[in-house]
Amino acid sequence: MTALRESAGYLPGLTAEEVTWQTLVFEGQGRTLEVTVPVLSQAQSVALMDRVRTASRSYLKSLTLAQIVSTIDRAIARLLDPADPWRKKVDTLLPLVTGYDAEMVRLGLTGYLKTFRKPQLQRFLVEDFGNPQLLDDFVPRAKGGFSKAFGADVAVHVWAGNVPGLCLWSLISSLLVKSGTVGKVASAEPLLAGWFARLLVEVDPLLADCLAVVWWKGGDTAREQVFFQHADLVLAYGGNASLAQIRSRVPISTRFLSFGHKLSFGMIARTALDARKALKTAQQAAYDVMRYDQQGCYSPQVFYVERGGKIGPEEFSRYLAHELSVLEKKYPRRTLGLPEAAGLANWRQAEEINSLSGTGSDVSGDGAWTVVYNDSLQALAPSALNRSIRVVAVDQLADVMPLLTPHRAFLQTVAVAAAPRELFELAEWLGRSGVTRICALGQMTSPEAGWHHDGRFSLLDLTLMVDIEASAEAASETFALYVD
Amino acid sequence: MTPSTLIADLQAFLAAEHPSDDAFDQQALALFAHQYQNNLPFQRFCQQRGKTVRSVKSWRDIPAVPISAFKALSLSCIPEDQVEHTFMTSGTTQGDVKGRHHHPTLSVYDASMTTNFRQRFMQGCELNIRMGILFPTETQLPNSSLAHYLALAVSEFGTKDSHYLLTAAGLHHTRLLAELERAAHTGEPYALLGASYSFVHLLDELQRLGKTFALPPGSRVLDTGGFKGQSRELSMADFYAQLSSVLGIDPSQCINMYGMTELSTQFYDDGNATLPSIKSGPHWIRTRVLEPLSGQELPRGQQGILAHCDLANFNSVTTILTEDVGVAVDGGFLLLGRAQGSAAKGCSLAVEEFLQAARA
Repeated sequence: MTALRESAGYLPGLTAEEVTWQTLVFEGQGRTLEVTVPVLSQAQSVALMDRVRTASRSYLKSLTLAQIVSTIDRAIARLLDPADPWRKKVDTLLPLVTGYDAEMVRLGLTGYLKTFRKPQLQRFLVEDFGNPQLLDDFVPRAKGGFSKAFGADVAVHVWAGNVPGLCLWSLISSLLVKSGTVGKVASAEPLLAGWFARLLVEVDPLLADCLAVVWWKGGDTAREQVFFQHADLVLAYGGNASLAQIRSRVPISTRFLSFGHKLSFGMIARTALDARKALKTAQQAAYDVMRYDQQGCYSPQVFYVERGGKIGPEEFSRYLAHELSVLEKKYPRRTLGLPEAAGLANWRQAEEINSLSGTGSDVSGDGAWTVVYNDSLQALAPSALNRSIRVVAVDQLADVMPLLTPHRAFLQTVAVAAAPRELFELAEWLGRSGVTRICALGQMTSPEAGWHHDGRFSLLDLTLMVDIEASAEAASETFALYVD
Repeated sequence: MTPSTLIADLQAFLAAEHPSDDAFDQQALALFAHQYQNNLPFQRFCQQRGKTVRSVKSWRDIPAVPISAFKALSLSCIPEDQVEHTFMTSGTTQGDVKGRHHHPTLSVYDASMTTNFRQRFMQGCELNIRMGILFPTETQLPNSSLAHYLALAVSEFGTKDSHYLLTAAGLHHTRLLAELERAAHTGEPYALLGASYSFVHLLDELQRLGKTFALPPGSRVLDTGGFKGQSRELSMADFYAQLSSVLGIDPSQCINMYGMTELSTQFYDDGNATLPSIKSGPHWIRTRVLEPLSGQELPRGQQGILAHCDLANFNSVTTILTEDVGVAVDGGFLLLGRAQGSAAKGCSLAVEEFLQAARA
């Protein structure tokens, strides 16, 4: 059988022949996909950065926000259309690259893309800027004077990970603030960003030079340094070790935004565990575990379950196990490579051995998923991911709070299933502990449009606010031609 | 007390020339029954996997115990305080908890080691060889199985002029140089044995001094254990090429031993002229390559996790699941290193990074 071929990246001003290519091979579902990724020379990288900078200044900055939103909306509409050639390509090849179940990717991506339609983008903009006009013009401020938000001329984004779509969010944010963008794709998923860039250029051909999608091997310091040195802003996703390395190579005067790996979990109050609601609760919890095989920063790694409901924590863990086994049939887990499989097996075996010591813990699962039940409070720790989850019984959900303190820097999403008063009480504690997002069970992997990623302003942080102070305005009056 | 008949049978099996598959099975099942009955944590482990004396019908059915269990459980058929000797892992990977391997008597371990060593390292040579040991003594490391192994090598196969070449401060430079010069001069074969990382220190030292040697024919090297972050890391090819060029010992006479605290038997290769070298053990140990999650045995040529069934492990568990990646080939298996926690693929915090942060 011949392998499918696809080339990654988007390189305005460079022909395929001028560029050196490296091949990444993806195998799965009985097919092979060879993806060529560009390896640019230093001169090509510098030229590319210059080209994007020039176009960003001359074209992107001249567009109104409404025009940019409309371009993105049209591109997203194309991707939401199941019959569109781009969407077909995505649906065919993305499961092959990431290894995720095709139906899971399709559903996940559609839900995600919907958050980038015009009304949702407008919500994002209002959320961050209040008055999005700030991106188009100097706008009067309540304090007096005027302000305008300027995006960087060129932002370099370093994308990581195999959760489909992360790069889209990053690219779209950058466009919305009128920044030229050069994105570096991850070897784990090198395709989607390049496709989206080409699709945007199809919708508005004048955007052609305003963005580029490149690749270099993680840790290739010489290559990445060229990009960092020519950037006005660097934004990177990844583990703390690689983020630290990247930061050390970004010039000190260049703004650096980083998004590290995160740990998320769920809290289930006894009120969510009556005979009628417990099953639904378990279904939602299992769904969050299944989505992207827990590879997302928002994916749950532990569920804390309160005692005292009609359905106890241990029984809940069995419900959860059952739901995971059902989901495995519908959306099978991706095939794991040997290192990942061995890591998961080690974790599971250690838990099994623990459970032999009579500590009130129990391990269930068949290799495709694992539920570990702990009868007593456990220190917060990651699971082995890939559908492995720990259920911890607690007397009160508040008992969890002291466990969070040491891990503040890693916390992100907490799904809370509790009555309103309790939700707000817990939210106060969680916020103090470093948690930045609280959502419903079943929604952990679908942040709402306008969310504050890791508690920050996704768009606002990409801009610099330029103020015309009232004094300048007042003084200018004295210099007017028509001054009396 | 371990039944004396069990040990006598085992010793006879170790000494047998070419025992049949049936004989191996018989021995394995007898040991399984003994361990199942006399070690409750092991029994619970088997029951957790739905294995009992009834359902285990061949050595392949014996559930492989992950080596991490040697840290968490007491895997001994007699009370721990009655054992003659306990070997402990160096314990660098899981906090300070060390794996413990209890030996009611070292007679089986010693018989396993000497029979195997004679054949694989001495290669039938009747005469003892002058040895230099690149590892601390048994007195310095009383719980190290490697220290015991090397002490046994010296007492059984070394001449009385053999030396330990490590001091508390590191390599004993003057003695090392004297030994190497003497061997080159007299033509008496010389053997260097020790931890792989100590050989790197030796290479670095000789390089610093600009010394190379041409050790006489019959000289050889035994290294074991890899570099473990205790020396600079170098590829196997570079390692043996440098050993060969600095000591004048052909890579075919550089033997790598693969052993573990959790085993009582070692694997060897037949030199490292071609890499990766094939590892194999004596007739009382058998290796399977398993798919980690299902535990299914993988076909020859496919990479998986190594599980060993070592009949000399009469008191703990015969069958252990390692964290080593390997592949079955004709004549043995290739050892491909440790199953590393893979780099995170997504943006979810993985155990490795979490632990690193906790250590920091």
